[in-house]
Amino acid sequence: MMISDALQKQQTVQINAHNLLMKFKQITLFNVEKLTFKQGDVIYLQGDNGSGKSTLMKILAGLITPSEGQIISQGFAPKSWWQPDSLLGKAVYLHQHPYLFEGSVKYNLTYALNQLKTPASERNERMHQAINMAQLEDLLNHNASDLSGGERQRLAIARAWIIQPKLLMLDEPISNMDKQSQRLVLAMINQLKLDGTGLLISSHQICGLTALCQQHWHIKQRTIHTSMHVPTAETVHQTNTTELHYGTTD
Amino acid sequence: MSEGWLALLQQAFSLLLSFDPDVWAIINISFSVSFAALLLTIIPSIILGFILAFSHFSGRWIVINLVQTLQSIPTVVIGLLVYLLLTRNGALGDLKWLFTQKGMILGQMLICAPVLIALSQAAFSSVDRRAWETSRTLGASWLRAVWTLCRELRVPLLLAIVAGFSRILTEVGCSMMVGGNIMNVTRNIPTAIALETSKGDFAQAIALGLVLLILALVLNFLLGSLRGKALPRSH
Repeated sequence: MMISDALQKQQTVQINAHNLLMKFKQITLFNVEKLTFKQGDVIYLQGDNGSGKSTLMKILAGLITPSEGQIISQGFAPKSWWQPDSLLGKAVYLHQHPYLFEGSVKYNLTYALNQLKTPASERNERMHQAINMAQLEDLLNHNASDLSGGERQRLAIARAWIIQPKLLMLDEPISNMDKQSQRLVLAMINQLKLDGTGLLISSHQICGLTALCQQHWHIKQRTIHTSMHVPTAETVHQTNTTELHYGTTD
Repeated sequence: MSEGWLALLQQAFSLLLSFDPDVWAIINISFSVSFAALLLTIIPSIILGFILAFSHFSGRWIVINLVQTLQSIPTVVIGLLVYLLLTRNGALGDLKWLFTQKGMILGQMLICAPVLIALSQAAFSSVDRRAWETSRTLGASWLRAVWTLCRELRVPLLLAIVAGFSRILTEVGCSMMVGGNIMNVTRNIPTAIALETSKGDFAQAIALGLVLLILALVLNFLLGSLRGKALPRSH
């Protein structure tokens, strides 16, 4: 309740996509008339392999230009006069296999922190919070390339969390991860949700991660279906059983 | 015969170790001109290499092919071009840079740039695209993201810089044509070696050759250790 009150006081940031069409070599990957991703949303993005989940996220992050359509951002602080007003840096995108820069864990963690215009004491506090949350205390001076898959993902989420993004997109954040790392990553994502960050999460499986979501985007038959109903393990099981019984498939 | 060679080597070392003013003036000119040309070329060439690797403007392949062709143009041809530009009736004749160190720097920049552009373009083409995407999505400016990539690619970029420096430090054709081989002004190591050899003064030529040899050894050792540190990364 308190979070939603605080959000209402500020102007809600959002990214709107209109008449979006993405093609690869004349083959349509997906198209959609309207999509809105705003602060406070927690969206589960579903789709088969190669359906365009990562591409959609990269489009919303400003990393890829769509074949057609407009992406408009609203509510973000204006940039300096000499900086082009692009989408980059507005909705943060986290790769399925995060890229860690050459150097220590600390270097990676503080990479984006130095460009914030916040006081040094605040930045320091934020860094320590991130270290605690991701449980990276003992690894700070290790080389980032020595980390395990789970540790890399935790570091990547902490690196994004530290800059307090308004919108964050996570591409399969808990795939190929052990239970302990999954629990930690889930806790971090839950913290982001409580902070009011807009989250767009893609995942193959219906799991604890998708249970956090309040909306559902499904890339199916080259279009994006949006709904407020997020599938649960039970509904998916029921659908599969019905499909098997009547012999229907997608 | 071998005694003659030993005597020449002895004389060469003695010229170097006794800090012979003529020899060290030549070394000084050679390094100052080539360092200046390198420093002026590094940043624009690396940025151009990045643009060629990361952007998809029309005519990109023409520019890439042109840069690769320029790498193999003999230095004497570049010397001729710069000479024609700097000669009194040339397009840049008013600068009065012919037979000056500035003219030599200009010529060496034109020799160094294609090497640096081509090698840095190859380095940027090989980088993991996620490095760029991660940097930009975390809010880094275009310039900071390029700097981040340079940091990630520091070994291949250093190799490119060393390759460019080696090419300009050892070239004769352009320095001879544009510099004119004037003692204490434009005489550098390669032009001095050519001159002293033609005069039969092998001791000075060997002394200057030794400087280049030692430099090549030092650079190779440095690069070897850098390559060793740049072990393959797991992503």
